[in-house]
Amino acid sequence: MRALGPGSVSSFLKIILDVAQVALSIGLGVVTTLGLAALLFHFDPKIVFQDADFSTADAASARRIIAGGLLIGAIYIGGVLVIVGRLRRIFSTLTAGDPFHPDNVRRLRTIGMVLAVLEILRYPIMLITVWLAPEVMEKSGFSLNLTTWFAVLVVFVLAEVFREGARLRREAELTI
Amino acid sequence: MPIRVRLDRILLERRMSLTELADRVGVTIANLSILKTGKARAVRFSTLDALCRELECQPGDLVEFEPGPPMDPEDEDEP
Repeated sequence: MRALGPGSVSSFLKIILDVAQVALSIGLGVVTTLGLAALLFHFDPKIVFQDADFSTADAASARRIIAGGLLIGAIYIGGVLVIVGRLRRIFSTLTAGDPFHPDNVRRLRTIGMVLAVLEILRYPIMLITVWLAPEVMEKSGFSLNLTTWFAVLVVFVLAEVFREGARLRREAELTI
Repeated sequence: MPIRVRLDRILLERRMSLTELADRVGVTIANLSILKTGKARAVRFSTLDALCRELECQPGDLVEFEPGPPMDPEDEDEP
């Protein structure tokens, strides 16, 4: 089975990324709407925390935590959406049989930067969660995700590989 | 770039059009235009052979060196 060109693995992956982008866009819309609704409207926090018994003051802070969590979730989904969008465009060039398109370098760098920003954002969010809801952090735990940082470095190295490929492609185009 | 292609001068001397030369050497007009305007990065020996054969000239008649600052590969690479 071919890796590049029409009807290849790349085109199959591009279809999966198309579906993922639509699903993420819908998810982003839903989570953002819920987050804003939680921020603006009065609701019973027991919808989320079913076992908890809230006083009036606790209920207000629980609502703020839920709204904050939803909006942070929306930021994360937005970041993943940017990554999937760039990957889609990269796979479009792979499907067209043109992997060393000059724009792929910029797209890979963007993916690397968004991955890094999302990982960096995770640390203050974890600290805030420890402060506001320590029982949640007891379940998930505070962790430094080395896999993500490894992925960030790999993506930046791949961007340089693609830059070299684009340079060679341009040189080949200008060889008569 | 210090290397200048003198294809336009030779074509004028031979009273030959770029289209005719393209047909004779089997290179597209677009590629010959790139060569003529000095945008080419390299010339294959096979192309040089065909050009010299059809234009009845030496490789040295097609290109000349003009002292000047060397071209910056990074500048050329940017799309």
